[in-house]
Amino acid sequence: MPSKETDQENSKESSSKMEIDSCTLKAVSSSPSEKIHLRPMTLSDIDDFMVWATDINVTRFCTWEPYTSREAGIAYINSFVLPHPWLRAICLDDDRAIGSISVTPVDSIRGEIGYVIGSKYWGKGIATEAVRLVAAEIFKEMPEMERLEALVDVDNIGSQKVLEKVGFVREGVMRKFMYLKGNVRDMVMFSFLPSDSLL
Amino acid sequence: MEMDSNETQPTVVVSSPARRISLRQMTLSDVDHYMVWATDAEVARFCSWEPCTSREEAIKYITDSVLTHPWLRAICLEDDRPIGYILIMPVDNIRKEIGYVLARKYWGKGFATEAVRLVTAEIFKEMPEIERVEALVDVDNVGSQRVLEKVGFTREGVMRNYIIMKGSVRDMVMFSFLPSDPFK
Repeated sequence: MPSKETDQENSKESSSKMEIDSCTLKAVSSSPSEKIHLRPMTLSDIDDFMVWATDINVTRFCTWEPYTSREAGIAYINSFVLPHPWLRAICLDDDRAIGSISVTPVDSIRGEIGYVIGSKYWGKGIATEAVRLVAAEIFKEMPEMERLEALVDVDNIGSQKVLEKVGFVREGVMRKFMYLKGNVRDMVMFSFLPSDSLL
Repeated sequence: MEMDSNETQPTVVVSSPARRISLRQMTLSDVDHYMVWATDAEVARFCSWEPCTSREEAIKYITDSVLTHPWLRAICLEDDRPIGYILIMPVDNIRKEIGYVLARKYWGKGFATEAVRLVTAEIFKEMPEIERVEALVDVDNVGSQRVLEKVGFTREGVMRNYIIMKGSVRDMVMFSFLPSDPFK
């Protein structure tokens, strides 16, 4: 999708410039090694979806098991992705999806952020950039939201670092908070408020 | 909520815990005692409900919300007189939330602490599938936070902008107690 380009977008400044064009959020930042943008996910993303959804390293801290069939992946996109109130594919320059990020309403004032990235793309600052994009824009899109929260398994250090790097506040460890694949897990609660500053 | 002052312990060792309160089901005949705390704005301050304004309203509330509650007990003194109530709300298959309210005249005497201790111990026996009992307390409700700390609940952290209470978005302190935790 074409976006308005300014001279600043092509500069090599270290600060992130946010560009909004209806459904596309694009960040130009020197911190991740690859530029990413967010866009709605569609059925045509099914093969890219299967790359991360079948990967047991990716699903380790997800509530779901790796997908084993393309049909199940299609069913997931139809029943969960397409009707979701706010879910985006995380894409590189070629517009191929390498993961997804979503904000799910918990109640009238709280939303929960969740994200998943193909393991080939870990360690490049991509999740951090995607979360930063969402935290910067979501309160404009959902003005009634007062709190964006995230629940991360105590052992999922990588995901905790993503949220800390964006500027989420680590509120505490909720002990025996939820089931993950048959085990009751301690979860770290993070939050980001409209008044908080992005790092 | 209860504002606990420092309690002095008796020097005599008793073989059973001093049980100054008892818990039982509430009934409609408790309505006049119910009104003592339910009409009190200071008691209602950190509750989701507004003070009760009439006996009819109280009867309706007891009938519709109290008698139908899955787990609610009157906190009674030795003469079986209710001075408040304590309840357990389901959160999900493994979590329960505890809540309690006490008439202001009985604040500062350790009654809420005793009730919370009793109920927390009881819940894990009655419901062995429960892995966590939690409580959410307004950041400004210091008295109620002290109750939970005195029982031995763990203060896990402040959840910012967590709920809307009477039109305002509030920060809430999250506490929890697990079956493996020791009572203080």
